[in-house]
Amino acid sequence: MIRGRKSILRCAGRLFGRKNAISAVAENQPTKNRMYDWHIFEDYRRKLLTIIREGMVFDFKEMALSIFRLQYEALPAYRRFCNKRRVYDSLGIWELIPPMPTTAFKELPLTALPEDIITTVFESSGTTGQKPSRHFHCEDSLTAYEASCLNWFQQHVLPPLDGHRYIILTPAAEDAPHSSLVHMFDTIERVVGAATSEFVGVAKDGGWHIDHDRVIDLLVDAARFDRTVTLLGTAFSFVHLLDECKKRDKTFQLAPGSRVMETGGYKGKSRTMPKDELHKAITETLGIQPQWIVCEYGMSELSSQAYDHVAGSEEYRVFRFPPWARTRVVSAETGNEVKLGETGLLQVFDLANVYSMMAVQTEDRVKRLEDGFELVGRVNGAEPRGCSLMPSDS
Amino acid sequence: MKVEIPNYFLADLGPEAEFTESMITEACLALRRNRERYLAVRDTGAVIRILSQTAENWLEDDYPYRELALEKGPEETGFSRATLKAGLDHFFNQLTGENLEDLLLQELGHFKRMDSPASARYEGTAQRASATTGSDMLLHIAAGNIPLPAMMSIVLGLLTRSSQFVKCASGSSYLPRLFAHSLYETDSKIGACIELAEWKGGNEALEKVLFHYAESVTATGSDETLEAIEKRLPRGTRFVGHGHRVSFGYVTKEAMGGYRAKRMVRDAADDVVAWNQLGCLSPHVFYVEDDSRDFAYQFAEMLAGELAKREKEEPRGEVPQEVAEQIASRRSMYEVRAAHLPDATRHWYSEGSTAWSVIYETDTLFQLSCMHRFIYVKSTPNLEETLKGAETVRDNISTVGLGAGEDEKEEIVMHLARWGVSRVCALGQMQKPPLTWRHDGRPLLSDLVRWTDWEQ
Repeated sequence: MIRGRKSILRCAGRLFGRKNAISAVAENQPTKNRMYDWHIFEDYRRKLLTIIREGMVFDFKEMALSIFRLQYEALPAYRRFCNKRRVYDSLGIWELIPPMPTTAFKELPLTALPEDIITTVFESSGTTGQKPSRHFHCEDSLTAYEASCLNWFQQHVLPPLDGHRYIILTPAAEDAPHSSLVHMFDTIERVVGAATSEFVGVAKDGGWHIDHDRVIDLLVDAARFDRTVTLLGTAFSFVHLLDECKKRDKTFQLAPGSRVMETGGYKGKSRTMPKDELHKAITETLGIQPQWIVCEYGMSELSSQAYDHVAGSEEYRVFRFPPWARTRVVSAETGNEVKLGETGLLQVFDLANVYSMMAVQTEDRVKRLEDGFELVGRVNGAEPRGCSLMPSDS
Repeated sequence: MKVEIPNYFLADLGPEAEFTESMITEACLALRRNRERYLAVRDTGAVIRILSQTAENWLEDDYPYRELALEKGPEETGFSRATLKAGLDHFFNQLTGENLEDLLLQELGHFKRMDSPASARYEGTAQRASATTGSDMLLHIAAGNIPLPAMMSIVLGLLTRSSQFVKCASGSSYLPRLFAHSLYETDSKIGACIELAEWKGGNEALEKVLFHYAESVTATGSDETLEAIEKRLPRGTRFVGHGHRVSFGYVTKEAMGGYRAKRMVRDAADDVVAWNQLGCLSPHVFYVEDDSRDFAYQFAEMLAGELAKREKEEPRGEVPQEVAEQIASRRSMYEVRAAHLPDATRHWYSEGSTAWSVIYETDTLFQLSCMHRFIYVKSTPNLEETLKGAETVRDNISTVGLGAGEDEKEEIVMHLARWGVSRVCALGQMQKPPLTWRHDGRPLLSDLVRWTDWEQ
């Protein structure tokens, strides 16, 4: 996939060219005389693809430690970060691999990719005024990304089905080249979507809005011909869509088997709605039953995503990553893993993050469950800022 | 000796208690009635005796309210026993008859003004005397970071012979409540002129009743909170608002020279440890003058060592999960920076807990700490650069803790005063202002009283 490669390349060049206080891109990247590393990276990536695509049995510990060593070697900033914690490449326990905080993706170009092969930069959609996280990709790293998201998506939301239409509540990839979510939807649409699937988001001023006329037309059409559809989008897009339907006094009874995948927080882009309420409103407006609504957890810093259940199943909701990504929930106070049922900060060890950071420390507060986690909230006011951080009164 | 806290105050009913407008109305009417009967008829000497007697009691090891404060306080307030002890001892040591008289003299020009028309020396020659009168009812709206401001408000209110309603932020009434009980114990009639309650700010119905009855209102909180309160007050109600302030320390090269460095660092640790850095007077940053960058770095390293030692003697205590998360997240950000630019950023963290953190940076930009013993040490070439770095918080600076040589102090103080700092003190004293400290550089009592001039 080399969509818009030229413009993206130029964009990546601009990003790197920008002289900011922290600009050690060159230092952080393998050079030609370190092609040795590159071959091991490549071997690792091939093995990973076999694991994902063919379900090859693998040893998580071995894979995790080998990619850790490669990243430790290739990224000096990560190496110093580990050394300061007295962790070296001789480490033998994957659970002790130091996870890189997501804030580091904002401050450093955390990539082992040489600059000239970078094709894509995913940026986080933070709230206004915040520096975005940046996750650099090349064609090879995108194959790992795409393989990972396709596999788990198909297992949870929808296996390939004939005549099924996707209504995607984001712009198409060329209009949002820095959104990892849009890239994921694009991959899904390209690989498993029917020709009639459609992106109904319109990019504007760095964000997007939904073409409500179009999406409502599509819904009317689907309901009339009893055609199954899957709506994919962020929680705030669904809130906008539901508000619009209410405004126009429209409700739908979509064909059985129709489903919804919703993801992500609100980031101030719409009013926030508790999850139950949002799902109830989706059921009332679109006629899709709650068990057909699947929640996704993902972020631009990762290459794998978690889903909370399989569409249509009655099982209870718990976020699970694919077998090639594991999580730990640690106490903010002690840094140790919390007990089952307790809350802490989520760490993700994503083997599909080949050329960036396999181990990532998120700022999400989650409850540790036996077979996954439940999202509880987000760390507030973590970044130092101006006076607005003053303690508030209660 | 164990005591049960009796139910004298609304705050004694517990955090679940729900108040109605009629309960608050009744409380306000009772306060005004009691003031008329018991407080307005007392003279200044009597009030000072009650206050200083209560303070003396608090300094006795076996005083029941002190015991309660130190035993149950950690659970109720989150501060460790040692932190509470240090903070309370300082406060009550200050609360002496002599200091209270000085305060009246400083604020009103004459110690007897609350009792009868009195002339300061400069007024006597012009045959002029003045008397001051307090409010029927004074309302304090106290923010909850640390307990002392609410307790100090009660002291000031009593000096003006006003009845007082103290509205504490939720979860913060414990120590003010014990103090009010101790006053009640010393003199129940005076205690009957105080009411305390706790609820989450913004309960408009209850607050409307308070605003109706209060003649004067004092409040601490964020600027937005203060603005919101002021807007809701009836015309003619006097309002004294104290917004949130931030403070920093400044240490000169001269002060760091020779054997003085150790002492400076110990004092700086005192300021970080006091009330776990939660007060407006607590430092967020220590700026350390530095040409070669070594002094500041050494200061940071030594401060980390000192904080580790203090953690053993005077532990910070547990913090809510959200606070630990903020600290953990902030810490990891500096770990990343330090890994990337080791010359510009260093960090020292307590192991296995968030108990203390020291961040060293060469960047002079003022940084708000996440408190709870999380402190920045920044190297700076001179005072001018420091103030440029602190420009973003210029309107919100309260105290500068100063470590400097004798010869340079005066000049630095004037420089800071002109820039807008309202209090300069020695390092180690930042959270220990004297009783007569002019809060935010404003008078303490004269805003709370009405003056009557008598031209004889």
